[in-house]
Amino acid sequence: MQPTSSMNEEFLKKWQMGLQIFHPSIDNTSVHERKKAIKLSADVAMASLRKGTTCWSRALIEKTATEDNFLVRQMLSGIKAEALINKKLPKRTVCHRKIVRRSKKILRRKSKSASEEAAAKAKRLVKRRTQGLRNVVPGGELMSNDVLLLQETLDYIVSLQTQVNVMRSIVDAAEAEIER
Amino acid sequence: MNGAIGGDLLLNCTDMSVLERQRAHLKYFNPSFDSPLAGFFADSSMINGGEMDGYLATAGLNLPMIYGETTVEGDPRMSISPETTLGTGNFKKRKFDTETKDRNEKKKKMNREEVTEEEEEKSKITELNNGSPKSIKKMKNKAKKEENNCSNDSSKVTKELEKTDYIHVRARRGQATDSHSIAERVRREKISERMKFLQDLVPGCDKITGKAGMLDEIINYVQSLQRQMVHSGYSHEMVNSGYSNEMVNSGYHHVNPMQQAETSSDPLSCFNNGQAPSMWDSYVQNLYGSLGV
Repeated sequence: MQPTSSMNEEFLKKWQMGLQIFHPSIDNTSVHERKKAIKLSADVAMASLRKGTTCWSRALIEKTATEDNFLVRQMLSGIKAEALINKKLPKRTVCHRKIVRRSKKILRRKSKSASEEAAAKAKRLVKRRTQGLRNVVPGGELMSNDVLLLQETLDYIVSLQTQVNVMRSIVDAAEAEIER
Repeated sequence: MNGAIGGDLLLNCTDMSVLERQRAHLKYFNPSFDSPLAGFFADSSMINGGEMDGYLATAGLNLPMIYGETTVEGDPRMSISPETTLGTGNFKKRKFDTETKDRNEKKKKMNREEVTEEEEEKSKITELNNGSPKSIKKMKNKAKKEENNCSNDSSKVTKELEKTDYIHVRARRGQATDSHSIAERVRREKISERMKFLQDLVPGCDKITGKAGMLDEIINYVQSLQRQMVHSGYSHEMVNSGYSNEMVNSGYHHVNPMQQAETSSDPLSCFNNGQAPSMWDSYVQNLYGSLGV
């Protein structure tokens, strides 16, 4: 499914509110600062749309809070969603490397037939890719099982699509305006 | 029709996650598709130790709409919540209802209605409330017997079903009945269902089969979206600084450029959507103002 126009509108509204909060403070700042503010407010707006129901949104807010806590709090209070910053996340699973390595060695010692090896290789590929996906999706490492991970990616992809749509249309409109 | 409107409501509600909406979408357009939707939500919340309570709440809230369209008349479960309303009072009942739905999903090869009644008869007889940690029970898969059970039992059955917290699954015909393999099969089916939805979402993935390839495409797509965002951020900045110079130099007032922008540019018209033009004007005005013009 594609992002609906109502989703676009809601994202735009929230993003606007966030930017308006930043506006008084960014008059004399550099380009870099303003870009950061734009990106940060867009991220927070996108995450707040989900109202804390999804794991990635909570992780994203926490991540942006570590970058600039003050701004995030300001923005959240502006859009009346302060509770979001306190949402708890599931604990990070700690992998003890020695144990993992030892168990892998033991597994490898078993002799495998040709078909089994192919299946094992396919499994390894899939595992590597899921790990890659966890790195890309915010909060991916916190998700304990694959099912949850896929669910979250689904939601995250749609949110990203709305964000990109909104940004692109604004840029297009502005450019069209400049050209005339 | 209530269901039709409900489907639209679901599709436009941003509180729901995408997965719920897609399932609602599918249900709406294909009423015979008894997707294993809600059972998964109940299940996943249990797997995570109830972390996603808000998530389940939205799932529970919106489920009644879905059920209203697809469950058949003779279904005894409808006695739980006969009216399809979005009332929050239905929430608790729906949570247990989803579990029986999940049980149904396992018997794809058998006739659905018969299976429902037969299974509920069985569950009534073999009801286990012993609180065993295993969430999946094995039951032998029988041929189509006891087809038309009396619905007098149904009310009793549904009440007992409400007590259990576990998802009961029946082994398929000709498959291993080991509880581990059943659990694995459930998990695999969940994963493949979500992969199907992802396939619809990511463009150009119709021809790719297999998890590894799909995951690869998904990763690439997400990364490209993230990069696009950064680029848009850059161009925002450039555009806005350029725009601001224009505005300052030519001494325009805010209002005129905004109105022209609205009528001339096609991309923005997607937002208009029947909204009053004055509201959109003020939106865009504020946005440009806030972007450092």
